[in-house]
Amino acid sequence: MTHSSELLKGTLRTIVLKVLKDHGKTYGYEITQRVKELSEGSIVVTEGALYPTLHKLEAEGLLKTERVMIGKRARKYYMLTALGKSEAKQRVGEFIEFIKTMGVVLQMEINLQ
Amino acid sequence: MKLTNDHIDYIIKDLHYRGIVVDGIEDELIDHICSAVEVEIENGQKFIEAYHEVLKKFGHTGGLREVQKHSLRFENRKTKIMIRNYLIIAWRNLRKQGFYSFTNIFGLAIGVAACLVIVLFIVDELSYDAYNTKADRIFRVNEEIKFGGNHMVLCVSGAPTANAMLQDYPEIESTVRFRSYGTYLVKTAEGTQNIKEQNLIWTDSTFFNVFSVNVLEGNPKTALKDPASIAISKSTAQKYFPGKSALGETLILDNKYNAKVTAVYEDIPTASHFHFDLMVAQVGDWPVAKEAQSNAFLNENFNTYLLLKQGADAKVLEKMLPVFLKKYIGPQIASALGNDMTMEKFLSTGNKWEITLTPLRDIHLHSDRRGELEANGNITYIYLFGIIAAFILTIACINFMNLSTARSSNRAKEVGVRKVMGSLRSHLVRQFLTESILVTFFSFAVAIWLSYMFLPMFNNLSLKHLQLPFTNVTFYLVLVVCVLVIGLMAGLYPSFFLSAFKPVNVLKGQVSLGMKSGIIRSGLVVFQFVISISLIIAAITVNKQLNFIQNKKLGFEKNQVIIVHDPYALGKYSKIQTFKNEVLKISSISKGTISGFLPVNSDRNNSTYWKDGRQPTPDNLVSLQTWSVDRDYIETMGMKISTGRGFSAEFPADSTAVILNEAAIPMFSLGENPIGQKVTTFDWGHIRPDGSPDPEKTKSWTIVGIIENFHFSTMKEGITPLGLFLNKSSGNVSFKFHSGKTEQVIQSIERMWKQMAPGQPFHYSFLDEDFLKMYASEQRLSQIFFVFAGLAIVIACLGLFALTAFTAEQRTKEIGIRKVLGASVSSIVGLLSMEFGKLILIAFVIAAPLAWFGVDWWLKSYTYKTEIGVMVYLLAGAIALAIAWLTMGYQSIRAASSDPVRSLRNE
Repeated sequence: MTHSSELLKGTLRTIVLKVLKDHGKTYGYEITQRVKELSEGSIVVTEGALYPTLHKLEAEGLLKTERVMIGKRARKYYMLTALGKSEAKQRVGEFIEFIKTMGVVLQMEINLQ
Repeated sequence: MKLTNDHIDYIIKDLHYRGIVVDGIEDELIDHICSAVEVEIENGQKFIEAYHEVLKKFGHTGGLREVQKHSLRFENRKTKIMIRNYLIIAWRNLRKQGFYSFTNIFGLAIGVAACLVIVLFIVDELSYDAYNTKADRIFRVNEEIKFGGNHMVLCVSGAPTANAMLQDYPEIESTVRFRSYGTYLVKTAEGTQNIKEQNLIWTDSTFFNVFSVNVLEGNPKTALKDPASIAISKSTAQKYFPGKSALGETLILDNKYNAKVTAVYEDIPTASHFHFDLMVAQVGDWPVAKEAQSNAFLNENFNTYLLLKQGADAKVLEKMLPVFLKKYIGPQIASALGNDMTMEKFLSTGNKWEITLTPLRDIHLHSDRRGELEANGNITYIYLFGIIAAFILTIACINFMNLSTARSSNRAKEVGVRKVMGSLRSHLVRQFLTESILVTFFSFAVAIWLSYMFLPMFNNLSLKHLQLPFTNVTFYLVLVVCVLVIGLMAGLYPSFFLSAFKPVNVLKGQVSLGMKSGIIRSGLVVFQFVISISLIIAAITVNKQLNFIQNKKLGFEKNQVIIVHDPYALGKYSKIQTFKNEVLKISSISKGTISGFLPVNSDRNNSTYWKDGRQPTPDNLVSLQTWSVDRDYIETMGMKISTGRGFSAEFPADSTAVILNEAAIPMFSLGENPIGQKVTTFDWGHIRPDGSPDPEKTKSWTIVGIIENFHFSTMKEGITPLGLFLNKSSGNVSFKFHSGKTEQVIQSIERMWKQMAPGQPFHYSFLDEDFLKMYASEQRLSQIFFVFAGLAIVIACLGLFALTAFTAEQRTKEIGIRKVLGASVSSIVGLLSMEFGKLILIAFVIAAPLAWFGVDWWLKSYTYKTEIGVMVYLLAGAIALAIAWLTMGYQSIRAASSDPVRSLRNE
C-alpha cells in the first residue's frame, strides 16, 4: 500500500533531511530509492517534489553539494551542513511530537520504539 | 547494467528537446533518469521502454518542466541573483551599445580624472603646516606701515618685537624668529668644495618647541642655545656627512663662520610654508646674531612667530597691540622724526602703523606680504580650481544624462515589453540605475588609471609632488561614495524618464523623441558650451597678458645678459673687479657690471629719504629703493638717462652721488630742475643705544642724473621711487654678450671662475630667464587653464559627437526621403549641423559676458595690462564652433551621404 501524496506533503523535508543525516553523501535518485527501501515501497517520493525541495534546502543553507563526474554524466551529491544537521534533529523531534499528538487526537496507542 | 554513451546522448538530447536547459538542474535530472533507467533495464526492460517508464514517473514533459521551474524559483528568490541579473542585463546593454558606452565611460573618466587631480591638489594646498601639533596656537606677527607715499605690507618685524611681546603679554608661551640672509656657501671642515645652500635660516633656540619638527639626533631643547651651533636636516646631513653621524661635526659658512652641528632633524614636510635645510643659532657675536639682539624696532627683518598658551585668544591679543606700538615703536619714531612726533600724531595725519596676527594655517593660502619665507599659494587659485573641477565633472555628468536619455528611444521598446511582461516601474528604475552605476564604476576605474598616468605631468606643471593615496582607506571610501552619488545623480533623470513610458504608446511606436523633445537636453548642451567657451576665453586672456608682459618695453635690455651669482666667493671686492676685467677680455663679451641688485630679483632694499634741508616728517619721507651699482651698470643693462649723466670715473665726487628714476622726482617735490639738488637719509652707522636712528647724524646725496623708469618688479606693481648709488657691492656680476655664442660665453666665464675661485660653485643665469621666472605662477596658471579648457572641450565634444550620431540615426528615414526628393548632401549636412550650431551660438552669447567679468577681475590685479579686445571673444567663439562643427561634421556627412535606398527599404 502506498500512502497518499497529501499525507506526505508536509513530511518531505523531514524525510530528506533524515535520509541525508543517516547516509551522509547521497544523490537524488539514491534518496528516492532509500525511502522506497525503508518504507518497503509504501512511500514513494516523486521526482517532481524531491528536486524543488532539495534546491530549496540548498538555498536555505541546510545542504551543501558536490559534483562528481561519472563517465559522461555529472552526479550531484547532497550532504548536510552544520546548520542542516541541527535542523534535521529538530525536524525529527518535532515530527515525533506531532505523531504523539496525533495519537492523542485520534485516541490511539502509538508505540514509538 | 551501465548505459552506453549513445544512450546517454539520446537522453541528453531528448531532455533538451523537452526544454530542460537550466544549468545544474539539467545535469542532475540526466543523472537521475539514467540511474532509474539502468535499474529498469536490469529488471528486464528494453532501453526505450525503460526510459519512457522513468519519464512517466516524472510526469512527462510537463512534470520535468515543473521540476525545473520550481527549482529556479527557489534560486531566484535570492537578492544576490536579482542583482546579478541586473548586472548581466546592464553589461549586455553596454556591450551592445559599444560606441555610446565608450563615449560615456571615457568622457566621464576624463572628467573624474581631472577632478581627482584637482582635488588632490586642493587637499594638498589645504594641508599646509598641518603637521604642527600646536598649529592652532601659532601666529605670525605682521606689520603694515603707511606714511607719505609709502605703503609697506610686511610679514617681518623688528628684532626686539618677539621678546617685548613675550614680556608684556602673559598669554604668549613662546616666540621664535627667523632671519633670512639669502644663500650661503657651505662646506665641511675637511672639504674643499663649497656647496650653495638656498635654505639657510638664522633662528632662535625655541624653534623645536614651537614647530613640530622631529629631532633625530641631538637635544632639541639645547640645540640652538649656544653660539655657532647649527641644526641640519637629515638629507643635508647625508649630503655633507655620508655614512656617519653629523652630530658634533663642523660646517663652514661662506668660508668664514665655523658652526658645530648640534642637531639633525627630520626633513621639513613638503606641505610647509618653509623648508629650512640648515638652521643657525642667532646668539653670539656674528653679525646676524648681533642684529638679532639689537633694540631697533624700526628695522623690520625678522619673521616673528608667537606660540600662545592653551586657551588664549589671538583676537583679544590683537586688540591690545596698538598699545604695544605706542609703548615701544612710538618712542623710536619720535626720536627719529623729532621728539614731538608721538604715535598718536603719526597716526592722526592719515598714516598707518598696525600689527596684526596671521594664524599659522592661513599663511600658505592667505598671505602675500613682503618678507615671506617662500612664495606662498593663493586661495583664489584654490577656489578657481575647485570651480573648474566642478565644471568639468558637471560637463561629464551632463554627457552621461544626455546620452542616456537620447538612447531612450532605442530602448523604448525594451521598456514597453518589460512593462507588458509585468515589470514594475521600480524594477525599471533599479535596472537603469544599476546600469548608470556600472558605467560610473568603469569610468572611475579608467579615471584612476588616467590620473595615475598624468599625475607626473600635472606635478611638473604645478611644481607639486602629488600622489594617489592608494594606501589610504578613506580614499577608497570616498571613491565608492562618489561612484554611488555620481551614478545615482547621472542615472536618476534617465531612469525616471525611461521608466515613465506608457507601454501602449511605446509599442505602437508613438513615442516622440529626437531633438524636439529635448529641451532639457539642449539646455544641457548649451550649459556645457558656456563653460567650455568661458574657459577658452580665460585661457586666451591669461596667455595674452603673458605675451604682453614679455613684449612690454621694460626700460632695460633683458636679452643676452648673463649673470654670475655669488661673486663674494671670489674674495674681496678688488678680486671681483679683477674677475670682471678678465672676463671682459673675452671677445664675445661687450660690457660688464658688478651690482647688488638686478631688475628681476625679488631682493629689495628700502630706505627712507627726504629732500635735503628739511626736517624729516611722515609727509615728506620717501621710501626709496637703494641699489648699489658700479659705473657700468646703466650701460650694461641698456637703461636710458633722460636728464643729467651716469656715474663716471671723471667725477671722483660720484661716491656721494645718486641717480634717481623718474618716479622718484615728484615724490621728493624737487621742482623743475632736480639735477644738483640733494636728498638726505639717516646715517644707520650712528644709531642711538635704543636702536633708533639719530636725526642729527644724516647723510646727503647729490642728484647727478635721472634715469628713465624701468620695471624692476612684477607688472602687478607700479614703478616706485628708486635710486642708484655708486657702491662696492658683491651681489652679482652681469655681462652683456653678443648673440649666438651663448655656449662659448658660459664656458669661458666658467673657466675663468674655476681659475680664480677653485672649490667655489659656479652659478649663472640669464637675465631674460630670470625675468620670466617672476611670472612663473602666471605661466603655470596659463598652462593649467589651457589643459583644463582643453579637457572641458574634449568632454563636451565627445558628448556632442555621440548626440549627433544619435540624431542622425534617428533621422535616417527623414534624410532618405529628403534625398529622394532632391536635397543635396550639403543642405542635409547644414540641416543636421544647424540644430547644434544654434545651441553653441546661444552658449556663446551667455558665456561672453560671464567670461568678461572673470577676466576683468583677474586683470585688475595688474597695474600694466593688455587690452582684451572683441577679437578674443570672437576667437573663442570661433574655436568652440569649429571644434563642435568638426565633431558634428563627420556624423552629418556620413548620414547625409548614405544611400537613401537602404534607409527607406522596409525590411
